[in-house]
Amino acid sequence: MKLLRDIWRSYRRRDSVATTKGKLQLVVHSLWLHIHPAKVHRSHFRLTYTWYLGFVSFYLFLILVATGVALMFYYRPTTAFAYQDMKDLEFAVFLGKFTRNMHRWGAHAMIIVVVLHMYRVYFTGSYKKPRQLNWVIGVALLLLTLLLSFTGYLLPWDQLAFWAITVGTAIGAYTPWLGPKGREILLGGHTVGDAALIRFYVLHCVALPTLTTLLIMLHFWRIRKDGGLSPPPSNLREFESPAPGTRPVAVAIPVAPHPGGTATSASARAVAVALEEVSEARAPRYAEDKDIAFSYPFAFYREGIAFLITFALMIVAAMYWNAPLEELANPAKTPNPSKAPWYFLGVQELVSYSALIGGVVAPALMVIALLVIPYLDTRDVRAPSKRKWGIWIFTLVTLANVVFIVIGTFFRGEGWKLVWPWASP
Amino acid sequence: MNRRSFFFSWAKAGAAALWTAGIAGTAAAVKFFQPMVSYEPPLSFKAGVPEDFPVGTPTLLPEENTFIVRDRERGFRACSAVCTHLGCTVRWSSGDQRFYCPCHGSVYDAEGKVIDGPAPRPLDWYEVTMAKDGQLQVDKHRVVPRDKRLIVES
Ligand code: HEM
Ligand code: FES
Repeated sequence: MKLLRDIWRSYRRRDSVATTKGKLQLVVHSLWLHIHPAKVHRSHFRLTYTWYLGFVSFYLFLILVATGVALMFYYRPTTAFAYQDMKDLEFAVFLGKFTRNMHRWGAHAMIIVVVLHMYRVYFTGSYKKPRQLNWVIGVALLLLTLLLSFTGYLLPWDQLAFWAITVGTAIGAYTPWLGPKGREILLGGHTVGDAALIRFYVLHCVALPTLTTLLIMLHFWRIRKDGGLSPPPSNLREFESPAPGTRPVAVAIPVAPHPGGTATSASARAVAVALEEVSEARAPRYAEDKDIAFSYPFAFYREGIAFLITFALMIVAAMYWNAPLEELANPAKTPNPSKAPWYFLGVQELVSYSALIGGVVAPALMVIALLVIPYLDTRDVRAPSKRKWGIWIFTLVTLANVVFIVIGTFFRGEGWKLVWPWASP
Repeated sequence: MNRRSFFFSWAKAGAAALWTAGIAGTAAAVKFFQPMVSYEPPLSFKAGVPEDFPVGTPTLLPEENTFIVRDRERGFRACSAVCTHLGCTVRWSSGDQRFYCPCHGSVYDAEGKVIDGPAPRPLDWYEVTMAKDGQLQVDKHRVVPRDKRLIVES
């Protein structure tokens, strides 16, 4: 009995979560949870503030890693096997089709959700000082998300994959000076073949996910270092000027000796640090205790529910919609029309007018604009109602992208001619 | 020069050396990723004997993405099937004697000149020679003017 109790204690290492101290220890003593502060401001978890879009981006990334690793157990990245392995996954492997579906729809969903997350951060002015750097990290994450999807697109080695990557990398080759050489290095040759397949595979399964993981860690760490999430603009007044007489929140530091004995002082110190952090000068000062909640259970439950909803939706999507798999890649036969992945169809649409301007200049300008937004827009104003111009421009550019993507996806038929989507080919 | 500034200049020289080494190392790493061997279809290849190709209709060699054009009884040319816009494979349409690209609608005439669409350049024409064994030899390294034909003596 004592043995079992010792094992359990060595695992749990905290007081009951019914107590204040236990709630703090749960967060502070856990490698996984201590990315959270011990306490959070309730307004940050209001659904209509963040829409949990950052969390959902992260959950989708986790789902993609899990399903992706599962697919790797069957997939061989050579032109001789790749397509056949996809067929095996579809028709022979138990849950193979389901896993593939979830991976595919998860990738599409992640792009949409990350973009929406970026839009929310822009809309609420959360990229402003001191969060400029985290916005820039976010832009890098957006690009990584797109690159992950793009490199993954080639792997099934069907007609869709082959021609999307042929066209997509040819767009990049229009980049002055770097383009042709860059395409050759990326493809490991001049055409999309075996060399390209293994390169895309390594990028997709190792290099890019590792980079993304590191940047996500940095992204989360910066949120803490920037004093937690930005306060919702509607709450700003309350944050900026605490009513006279109110003090920063602090809970009495529990100094009672820990039953365990020797660990006492270290753990008490850690908890004390956690408390200090809540009232840290950089963090917004909260006017009233009632707006503050312990992360356990307040934040964890909400995050958990967001995860469950995300996961459930992905399961439903994977059950009802099948990821496409066309004929085996055939370099001699270009399907008509031949389209890049949907998230690049806006670019392809522009490319059909001019490859250099539409395919290189416009996307590059868009990325540069995103990167410099927080350094040019330095006015200390966050409320959307006072940033109408910025929001109009940002929304219009986003909408223009959406419109081009919709045109490219639904209104472009044979020979890239404009067609009505309901007109049968 | 006092001892302290002497030390700091050494430190600076050291830092500069490290930077140089770092940049050189990065350049070497980039070079690592440059393909040194290729298993792609060779750029110079044998297309077959002259009798294989009908007069008037360009014949697509799918592996090499090249059309053999026999537009005179004894005259042979080789035309790239790769659209100069974004690399899709163009298709010959005998009806109106044109090459059509399915991707973004570029259209070329029988001489490979752009008639319509976003293609920036005409299709490439490659040098055709006669190999010793009587087959046509196409060399994609050599782009030639489009009126240069191989005339096969019969
Ligand atoms: C892989 C992609 C990404 C993941 C997993 C991710 C995750 C998160 C999470 C979990 C949060 C916290 C709360 C929330 O808004 O839900 C957050 C906040 C933030 N994100 Fe992201 N994010 C990603 C991409 C981006 C992008 C593309 C941008 C902008 C270009 C961005 C900029 C920010 C900023 C500035 C904050 C702080 C917002 C605030 O303090 O209110 N992130 N991110
Ligand atoms: S690739 Fe031929 S028109 Fe774009």
